Amino acid sequence: MTLDLTATIIFVALFLFITWLGFVAARWRKADLNLLHEWGLGGRRFGTVVTWFLLGGDLYTAYTFIAVPALVFGKGAMGFFALPYTILIFPILYLVFPRLWEIAHRKGHVTAADFVRDRFGSRMLALAFALTGIVATMPYIALQLVGIEVVIGALGLHAGGAAGHLPLIIAFTILAAFTYTSGLRAPALIAIVKDLLIFITVFAAVVIIPARLGGYGAIFASVPREKLTLPPPSADSLGSYSAYATLALGSALALLLYPHAMTGILSSSGGNVIRRNAGLLAAYSLILGLIALLGYMAIAAGVDHDPAYAAGFSQYGANFAVPALFLASFPSWFVGVAFAAIAIGALVPAAIMSIACANLFTRNLYKEFLRPDCSDADEARMAKIVSLVVKIGAVVFILAIPNAYAIQLQLLGGIWIIQLLPPILLGLYTRSFNALALLIGWAVGTALGTYMAATQGFTSSVYPLEIFGVTVPGYAALYSVLINFLVSAVLSPPLDLVARRRAASTAH
Amino acid sequence: MPRTRKTGRWWRYWPRLLFLIPFIAVLWVPFYNRTGPELGGIPFFYWYQLGWIPLGAAIVLLVHVIETRITHVTKSSGKGLEPTDVPGDIL
Repeated sequence: MTLDLTATIIFVALFLFITWLGFVAARWRKADLNLLHEWGLGGRRFGTVVTWFLLGGDLYTAYTFIAVPALVFGKGAMGFFALPYTILIFPILYLVFPRLWEIAHRKGHVTAADFVRDRFGSRMLALAFALTGIVATMPYIALQLVGIEVVIGALGLHAGGAAGHLPLIIAFTILAAFTYTSGLRAPALIAIVKDLLIFITVFAAVVIIPARLGGYGAIFASVPREKLTLPPPSADSLGSYSAYATLALGSALALLLYPHAMTGILSSSGGNVIRRNAGLLAAYSLILGLIALLGYMAIAAGVDHDPAYAAGFSQYGANFAVPALFLASFPSWFVGVAFAAIAIGALVPAAIMSIACANLFTRNLYKEFLRPDCSDADEARMAKIVSLVVKIGAVVFILAIPNAYAIQLQLLGGIWIIQLLPPILLGLYTRSFNALALLIGWAVGTALGTYMAATQGFTSSVYPLEIFGVTVPGYAALYSVLINFLVSAVLSPPLDLVARRRAASTAH
Repeated sequence: MPRTRKTGRWWRYWPRLLFLIPFIAVLWVPFYNRTGPELGGIPFFYWYQLGWIPLGAAIVLLVHVIETRITHVTKSSGKGLEPTDVPGDIL
C-alpha cells in the first residue's frame, strides 16, 4: 500500500477541525465543569436534536461500521442479524429508559450502579454493576481503535514497527486531551460533524458504487446463492433460525445497558426527548442497513481478488473489505472524507465510553469504598483522571495483545453486560426484590454465560442448547440472563424472609 | 410512563401493545428467509428487513403521539428541566 497523499491531507484536516471543536466544547452551554454531572453528563441538558446526534454517534460505532459489512462479506445472510437487532432497540428504548431517566434525575444518579444502589440499598450489587460495566466497556474501547487502525493502514500510513502505531497514539492523545477538558460536551459536539460525514459517505456509497457495479440486481447476483439466505434448519435442530433471532434480541437488550448508552441517555433533558429519539434514531438504523450491504458490494467489486489490496486483507482480514471498496470506488479526496468519517466515528463512542467508565469508577468505587467524604470537585477531578487511565489502558491493550483477544472479550462483554437487565428492569417498578437474590442471580448468569462461551472456545457466542432432544442454538447472553431472572425470582422470597426474621430478632 | 396524570392502571398503556408487531415481524425468521419476491433486484430477505426499519420507527412515533395527545399517560411538554432561555435550549 502506497501513501495516498490527497486522501491523507483531507483526513488530517478534518481531524484537526474536530480537535479544535473538542476543546471549544468546554465553553458550550458554559457551566462548572468541576461537577461530575456537568463534566460527565453535560448537565443533563441535551434536547432532542443533540441527543439524536449524541446517541447516534454513541451507539452506531466505527467498529460497527467496519465489522457489520465485514461479517456480511464473510458470512452472508447471518451477518444481517444487525438489522432486526437495530429495529428492536427502539421499542426497548421507549419502554424502559424514560422512566429510568425520571428516577435518575430526581435522585441525582449518574450511573446505573447509582440507580440499583438506591433502589435495592445494596453496595455490593452496585459494586457488581460498576465492575461489570467497566470490564465490558474496556474491550469495546479497544475495538474502536481497531477501526482507526484499519483506515490509517488503508491510507498507506503503515510504517511497521513502533512508528507504525504513531498515528493511532496521536489520535488517542488528542481524544484524551479534549475529553479531559470538555467532558461529555466534546463528543456531543463532535458527533454532529461525525454523523454528517457518515451520512454523506453512505449516501455516496449506495448511489455511486451500485451504479458502477451495474445496479443492485447485479450485486446480489454476484453473491453465492447459499450466502443470500440462512441455511434452513434440520429436523433435530432449529439451526440458524434460532441463532439469528436470539442474537438480534439479546444484542438489542444488551446494547442499552452498556455504560456509554446509559451516559448518553441520562444526559438528555427529559423523558420525552428519549421517547422522540426512540423513533428518530431509525435514521441511523437505515444507514447501518445500507452499510451492511456494502459487504455484498465488496464481493461484487471483487476487491478481495485485487492484488492492490492483498496486503490489507492479509493484515486486517474481512475488516478491510469496506476500506478496500472505498479505495477502489472513490476519488482520493473523497476517500479522505470517508476514512475521516470512520476514524472520527471511533473517537466519539471512545470518548463517551471512557467518560462512562470514569463516572462508574468515581461514583461507585472511589466515593463509595475509598473516600466517602470527598468533595464534589475531588469527585470530578478523579473522574477526569480515570478517563485518561481508561484510554491509556485501551491503547496498551490493542498494541500489546492480538486483536483477536479484543474481539473475544467484546463478545464476552455482551454476555456480561446483559446480566444487569434483571435489577434494572425490576428496579423500575418494584423495590420488593431481595438485593442478595439479585446479586446471586447476577453471579450465576455471568458464570453460566461465560461457561457457554468457553464451550465454544470463545470464538462464538452461539450456544447449542439441547431441549427435549432438539438443539436450539442461541445467543448465550439471552440464555444466561433468563437463568439470572429465574434465580433472582426464586431466591427472593426466602431470602427476604430470612432478612425479616433477623431484623425482628435483633429488635427484641 | 412517568407522571401518570390520573391513575396508573395498566390498560391506559394499551398503545404499547403495538410494539409486539415489530418484535414478531423480525424475530419470526422462517417468514422472511427466502429470496423471492425480489424488489428491484434485491432479494426478499433484505428488503423486508430494511423496510421494517421505517415501519418500526413509525410505530414508536405513533405510540408516542397517542400517549401524549390521546391517552395522556405522558406529559406533552418536552422539558424535564426548567428552561434556561438560552437559544440552544431547543437543541
